[in-house]
Amino acid sequence: MAPLVSINPADLAEKARRDILQLLEGVRGKKNLVIQKSLSGPLSLFVKFSTLQEYGVDKVFFLENDNVDTSQKNVVFLARGEKAHNIYAMAEQIKRVRRDSQTEHDFSVFWVPRRTLVSDQILEESGVLGEASILEYSLYFVPLAEDVLSLEYNDAFSDLYLRKDPSSIFLSAKALMTLQEKHGLFPRITGKGDNAKRLADLLLRMRSEVSAGDDMMSSGNSILGLTPSASIESLIIVDRKVDFPTALLTQLTYEGLIDEVFGIQSNQTEIDSSIIGAAAPQSSQASSSTAPSGPQSRMRKIQLDNSDSLYTTLRDSNFAIVGPLLNKVARRLQTTYESRHTAAKTTAELRDFVSKLPGYQNEQASLKLHTNLAEEIIKHTRSDIFSRVLEVQQNMAAGADPATQHDNIDELIARDVPLRSILRLLCLESTLSNGIKQKDLDIFKRAIVHAYGAQHLLTLSALEKMGLLTVRSGGLASINPTARGQAANTYTNYQTARKNLALIFDEVNESEPDDIAYVFSGYAPLSVRIVQCILQKQKITSLSSQRGGTPTAGTTNATTGWKPFEDTVRQIRGATFDEVQKGEEKAVKARQILSGSAHGAEKTVVVFFLGGVTRAEIAALRFVGQQMKEEGKGRKILICTTGIVNGDGVIGAAIEEKGFGGK
Amino acid sequence: MSKPTADWDRVGDRFYRKVKLYDEVFDQELELENYLIAGAPYSGAVALYRDEDRIHTYRGAQAAKAGIDIYSCAGKLIKHINWDKGSIKGLGWSEDEKLLIVTNDGTVRCYYDLQGDFIPFTLGHGAEEHGVLSCRFWSTGFVALLGNNNLISVINYHEPRPRLLSVPPEQTVESWTLIPPADSLSRSVEVLLAIGQTIFVVEAADVQDTGLDKGPFRHIRVSPNGKFVALYTEDGKVWVVTSDFQDRLSEYDSRAKTVPKDMQWCGNNAVVLAWEDEVHLVGPNGAASKYYYDNWVHLLPDYDGLRILTNTICEFIQKVPDVTESVFRLGSTHPSSVLLDAVDQLALKSAKADEDIQLIRASLDEAVDTCVKAAGHEFSIHWQKQLLRAASFGKSVLDLYNSDEFVDMCETLRVLNAVRFFEVGMPLSYEQFIRLTPEKLITRLINRHEYLLALRISDYLRLPTDRIHVAWASQKVRVSSDNEDAICRLIVKKLQGKRGISFEEVARAAYDEGRARLATELLDYEPRAGKQVPLLLSMKEDGIALDKAIESGDTDLIYHVLLHMRKKLPQASFFRAINSRPIASSLVEASAIDKDTELLKDLYYQDDRRLDGSNLLVSEAILASSNTQSQADKLKLASKLLADSKEYTTHRTAIDEQIKLLKYQETLERELPPNPVATSGVTSPGATTDSSIWKGLSINETCFRLIRTGNSKRASKLSSDFRIPEKTFWWLRLRALVAKRDWAEIEELGKTRRSPIGWEPFFNALLAAGNPRLASTFIAKCGNVVHLQERMEMWVKCGMPVKAGEEAMKGKNLRALEELRDNMVGNSEVYRELEGMVGVMGRR
Repeated sequence: MAPLVSINPADLAEKARRDILQLLEGVRGKKNLVIQKSLSGPLSLFVKFSTLQEYGVDKVFFLENDNVDTSQKNVVFLARGEKAHNIYAMAEQIKRVRRDSQTEHDFSVFWVPRRTLVSDQILEESGVLGEASILEYSLYFVPLAEDVLSLEYNDAFSDLYLRKDPSSIFLSAKALMTLQEKHGLFPRITGKGDNAKRLADLLLRMRSEVSAGDDMMSSGNSILGLTPSASIESLIIVDRKVDFPTALLTQLTYEGLIDEVFGIQSNQTEIDSSIIGAAAPQSSQASSSTAPSGPQSRMRKIQLDNSDSLYTTLRDSNFAIVGPLLNKVARRLQTTYESRHTAAKTTAELRDFVSKLPGYQNEQASLKLHTNLAEEIIKHTRSDIFSRVLEVQQNMAAGADPATQHDNIDELIARDVPLRSILRLLCLESTLSNGIKQKDLDIFKRAIVHAYGAQHLLTLSALEKMGLLTVRSGGLASINPTARGQAANTYTNYQTARKNLALIFDEVNESEPDDIAYVFSGYAPLSVRIVQCILQKQKITSLSSQRGGTPTAGTTNATTGWKPFEDTVRQIRGATFDEVQKGEEKAVKARQILSGSAHGAEKTVVVFFLGGVTRAEIAALRFVGQQMKEEGKGRKILICTTGIVNGDGVIGAAIEEKGFGGK
Repeated sequence: MSKPTADWDRVGDRFYRKVKLYDEVFDQELELENYLIAGAPYSGAVALYRDEDRIHTYRGAQAAKAGIDIYSCAGKLIKHINWDKGSIKGLGWSEDEKLLIVTNDGTVRCYYDLQGDFIPFTLGHGAEEHGVLSCRFWSTGFVALLGNNNLISVINYHEPRPRLLSVPPEQTVESWTLIPPADSLSRSVEVLLAIGQTIFVVEAADVQDTGLDKGPFRHIRVSPNGKFVALYTEDGKVWVVTSDFQDRLSEYDSRAKTVPKDMQWCGNNAVVLAWEDEVHLVGPNGAASKYYYDNWVHLLPDYDGLRILTNTICEFIQKVPDVTESVFRLGSTHPSSVLLDAVDQLALKSAKADEDIQLIRASLDEAVDTCVKAAGHEFSIHWQKQLLRAASFGKSVLDLYNSDEFVDMCETLRVLNAVRFFEVGMPLSYEQFIRLTPEKLITRLINRHEYLLALRISDYLRLPTDRIHVAWASQKVRVSSDNEDAICRLIVKKLQGKRGISFEEVARAAYDEGRARLATELLDYEPRAGKQVPLLLSMKEDGIALDKAIESGDTDLIYHVLLHMRKKLPQASFFRAINSRPIASSLVEASAIDKDTELLKDLYYQDDRRLDGSNLLVSEAILASSNTQSQADKLKLASKLLADSKEYTTHRTAIDEQIKLLKYQETLERELPPNPVATSGVTSPGATTDSSIWKGLSINETCFRLIRTGNSKRASKLSSDFRIPEKTFWWLRLRALVAKRDWAEIEELGKTRRSPIGWEPFFNALLAAGNPRLASTFIAKCGNVVHLQERMEMWVKCGMPVKAGEEAMKGKNLRALEELRDNMVGNSEVYRELEGMVGVMGRR
């Protein structure tokens, strides 16, 4: 009776681990592994390099580097089969190895997550299809934490919004189907955004296809599995496009700032060892990466996950209180350590103390690490430019007239602040106020091209294509939002959203937060507010009425869906939908009988961010989950996403990296 | 009814039985001795092929026509395959009843159903030059031996990848065999070659000599479980050794002068030798039993026994299963034997029945179990019934007994008897049935077009029936001569609403048969959009295929269709096809960006997307970084594209400016060649390779560098040429001069009356650059722009707290002064001075 089991991320990791090892075992003898760069991070989340070695992997190469040598007879490729350029790169390398080598080679290709028709076609055209044995490695969700599942599909953002390539929607649907097959249908699918709607439609479609499917042998339990789940309450899909501004703002949680300053990839960040000290040889933080240990630079890899208990307490806190928290821990550690003189009188007590030592040392090391990190971040946040940027952001988020911020932005451009920061500000303005005035935009464009080079004409075009940086189209729309908003739903009216959903929260308490607005020190992310509209109706109602928003009629009962926020939500861009998935009557009854005992168990709400989620939003959602627990709703939130994004990444998707000098 | 032990034979301490399955198998005219025969595992079909090396009676042109005949075990012809493709060197079956035919030149045909449809592939690896000598098959693959002793293995037929194994020594191979991957130690196929006195073990990666010296071995066979090897020596002995060649288990002397025609395993315990009409069954420890036949015999080994095929009969030899032995052995005292007797007595209405029951009361459930199992191993329906009757009787006496096995066995036996019926001709033993699984049995029945039986069995065993329906429908569209509408109606009537029906498969069958309209009609009933695409493509319905692919949401499918269309269609119609479908055209764009910019250019031109077209040229210009002239040319083109439309003026101006900038930078390269002193240590953005230090910089960066290298005049010129805003220019000057540490120049700048960016940035920059002295000169200039408090702070930052104090006095702010004083407690000298000021102010 699998559907009764709630989703356990650890199981997914274990399965992913078993699968890859099994595939590797299938290739006899020693082998060289060629891996796509963007897969090495996710892989390192559940399998260590040393384990790969036990399974015969001799050396690891990156597909992008095109440098696999001929030292082993067996060459194994691991790559995503969706993108043509990957496939071409692989075909070229197989040809090269075959040409250069004296001996014969056995090639194996593991496509992630599935073998595609296109890959077969291209390999065949390149004349290597017959050379390689081709298998699938169906890796979909990778757990980043106990409550975060990610596809770690880094291209999702640029695919969806720049290239309008819906691959990631299909991938997400497949991944969610694997959850449904195991745990039962999501009883309700609610969501916001055009792409989210497409994903929901695809899920419904796939469900009907599964029941029409012919491979009943393989999915024997799917007949039962595709009745509404008893352990999942609903699925909420949020399209990133619904809320670009949140992704563009500077995140102010500890984890968010680490991501902003150093960047985090698959729970790992690389930090100059001069900042945090070299890795202690037996240190628990020293991660063994799957990357080839080439000329190891001074960068050190830090694993950031819940295995580090100190980090668990810090990660979602506003950075303002990280200092005091670290202080507290330091003092506690010191007292325990000093207490050894007084407490350890008898040998038994001494033994007790010694047995605690390793944990103590770990804590000590982790304290040192985070203190150093925090200091480095403070250096950054104290800088004039950081505060200037933040000021502009906060003003804009709060709804100040954007024109008042233009001087600041002009100055920042003249001071040669990194382009990404500038573009984040401009895109923020554009997305918040439905475009920038033609005249102002032209001036900014000119300034940017002057300051950063003409190649950024392409960057600017790309941003326009993504809808991040647009010209304000006529005055009519902003004056009369309902006239156009109703019909096309092409933009968000932040004026009303700010009011009705209480996005701005001035008196935020950072040390003991009472609202999700703490993650941006006063701005509550719209995306999470949308989720709250479904999960915490009363809270939102009370918040907005305090703020003199349109009072929403009536008290809410337990019904899910958008009620009573339909009007508010309609003023946000993108399609709105709410679907109920029912099972066959008989099966539902059978389930009810079977699950009779499981009543009252904690149900899961799956929140899926299509196009990526920021770490600040994760923190906010965790906060929502915590609040619901305190309210005794007995629900927990599982966050699923195509990948983790931050503002620089969003802008980076558009930036043209090459200059006219040929760098 | 004959006694069940009538066909038993004692071999050593065990019993073997020879069950007659069918008689009058083949036409008496068929000279079986002239044929090569291969039988599919699990009592599957039998393939006959006339041995080319033998002379045979001429029976007219018709009979002389070469071909392969596929028969059932009962001798029913299933299919005749015409063959004119050269000499056959390997004929074998896979586990799922695919017939493999390997010819001399290394061509392989895999007949995947029994109806003559096949997939060809070639072995390669020199098979063509050296020729294939012979082949050995296992359940999922085979190995071919070439003329030069090279061995080629194919481990699956789904995607055959012929691989060359290690090369063994090049001497005559007396005989050979293989150990399947599933049974070998290395988990990959191992080939045993009898060469000279010894045997070589050949693997993918190495060749081992086992070091035997009793050769040459005329026959070598591996037991079905892969644990034992039987060898037939030159001097007529049979040896059984373990498959790692470490232990010799038994030896048997056949005392035969001629080498037997064939040697095979019978189960895992006995070896069978066959001469023309004589068969020796050699059990463990060299015990043997001999059989004689009227005609030529063929041996068809199976997993748990061996079938013997002659012109007249088909027999099955197997070790008598233990349960059967306990029930039926003469003088057996096993409880099950007593139970069987009790049933007999019951039929005679004798009281002895009860006596029997009382006798075995204690072990009655064991007796029932044994009877149920023995019934499964029985081929005679009479004895099956008798045993089940006994079990049922025993069951009725027991208070508690789980009847599941009894029920299952009854079902299984019904199925087995149905397929053993001579018209079906699949004499499966119970063990074979369990190993084959009911699902595969259904597949075999479908391949034989026994749809009704397959359907009945599926219903009876509660298995899915979708495949049967689909196969039936496919066959229907292939052979039916009704009109298409009638066929379609008939099929839809039968199939619609059933789970898992793949209309696509039926439609494909219809299309392959040339009934395109029927195919289209049927395809409409397919619920899975993705499934329809490949067929639609082969039906040349590209547009519909693209729509269906988009509908399925699977980008892979969409790409697949697009690649296909791109190759087939002229560009104009390709564009027309994608234009109406936004997802398709964005996918074309996304994929062409990496590979095919020419296509994109045409696409943009066709659609009149000027900005995109211009951007494409700009990015080409960027890539052509080695050649400034071609960069400029491309940019000119890009600019021209935008010339007519007003909305892109900014864009166009920027491109024009870039052309100008490139030219200007070229002059700079000439006139201000890289100066090692000036450039070393520069970390400003745009520090490029030594060959070009100017090119690639933006306008601001160029200006910055000009000032930085002391070319202020040029910088000013540049700024006016490119209309750099005044504020920006001042910032550039400030930053560049600070970077240059040209304090004098900054001081000079400070003498200007007014700065468009104010003086505070000067202060901050100088302070950050470590020149508090100069920085302090700007505090006064900041004047009233900043607050008193801030001005005081500025002084403190410059390390001049006393000045800050003076500022406070000037501003008449006692509180600020006192605060400042308190902050300076550490510095007694300053403290005293400030204290003084506080005093002065306090007095006022």
